[in-house]
Amino acid sequence: MAGLTKKLQLPKSVLDMKFMKKTRERIEKELENTQDHGSLYSNIITNEMRSASGNFISESSFIFCETMLEGRLSFKGMNPEIERLMELENGVKTEEGSGEMVKDVSDDILAKKMEKFNKMKRPNPSPISDLTNTKKKK
Amino acid sequence: MKVSVGDVVLPGDFSEEIAAVGEKSKVILGPGLRKEIDGIFITKAGTLKKRAPNTYWVDNYQKRYIPARGENVIGIVVQKAGDIFRVDVGGSCTASLSYLSFEGATKKNRPKVVNGDVVYAKMLVASKDMEPEIVCVDSHGKKGRLGVLEDGFVFKCSLNLIRKILNPECPLLNSLKNEWPFELAAGMNGRIWIKANTMRETIALGNAILGSEYLSNDEIKSMCTNIASILAGHIS
Repeated sequence: MAGLTKKLQLPKSVLDMKFMKKTRERIEKELENTQDHGSLYSNIITNEMRSASGNFISESSFIFCETMLEGRLSFKGMNPEIERLMELENGVKTEEGSGEMVKDVSDDILAKKMEKFNKMKRPNPSPISDLTNTKKKK
Repeated sequence: MKVSVGDVVLPGDFSEEIAAVGEKSKVILGPGLRKEIDGIFITKAGTLKKRAPNTYWVDNYQKRYIPARGENVIGIVVQKAGDIFRVDVGGSCTASLSYLSFEGATKKNRPKVVNGDVVYAKMLVASKDMEPEIVCVDSHGKKGRLGVLEDGFVFKCSLNLIRKILNPECPLLNSLKNEWPFELAAGMNGRIWIKANTMRETIALGNAILGSEYLSNDEIKSMCTNIASILAGHIS
């Protein structure tokens, strides 16, 4: 159980520094408190009780089960404030949907330009150098 | 009786399917499901539903609201008691709403809320043994979509209808949104607040919402075009 509840802790070297005195004291206190709780109820709370819920999480609301729109909506300029919020939310959704950045230069144009650029750089690539290049890459 | 996803289920039925999944991975049990020591049992009558990866719930017909944390509800202020408002949300007891949980409210600058006001609020605390608490601000202190709803018209409906019209696949709002300007707030407690420019439009919107409860998606679409044409005056 201790392994499950283990929190991220500051390294000891940092805690030993002078300005960390208060934090050190607080952490010690917390540790003491949790240990006390453990021993206080140890005869009542069994390990079975701790792990009784297993992998099951109970949820009393439908909002976490079904996908639903926000319940406050406005259309055709009835409430500009709400419509602005709706637009913001929709904007976020569409951006997430495409998963790509807006491009100034399309992929096709970039490929063509790069081809030209490579040709300019090496007008007559000798077959030997090509071979060595590919080998190096591999 | 043993049941599986998609079946019509009754209280007392059990699902070995969910129990088996739960041995390997995390499972979310929504409303209508309960874990006992010897299995997963159904506590409501309805259809057992599943959403990937591992969320199960019972979709049932219900009109009584049971407060649940995180839901947006429509309440009516019924009493001012010191520094809280008592708000009727349709649950077994009234919810409390602190006057400080409005945007920009301070001890000196109290929000202007009076008895009978309709508020759109979020459930902050909802437990079996305590009075629920609602707030009109989000965690950043902004009001967002919450707050007092002015003017408009409130009516009640079943909890299913709220979920139906808020489902992104429901065509109701999509077919109405281009017809005439209107505003709508749907609370998960089975109350809907609507506001439009004229009384005719408000009534049309209310009828469209209430009429869509037992209609299929295609029927909803044709009903909406019908209502819109009546409102536009093509058919008297």
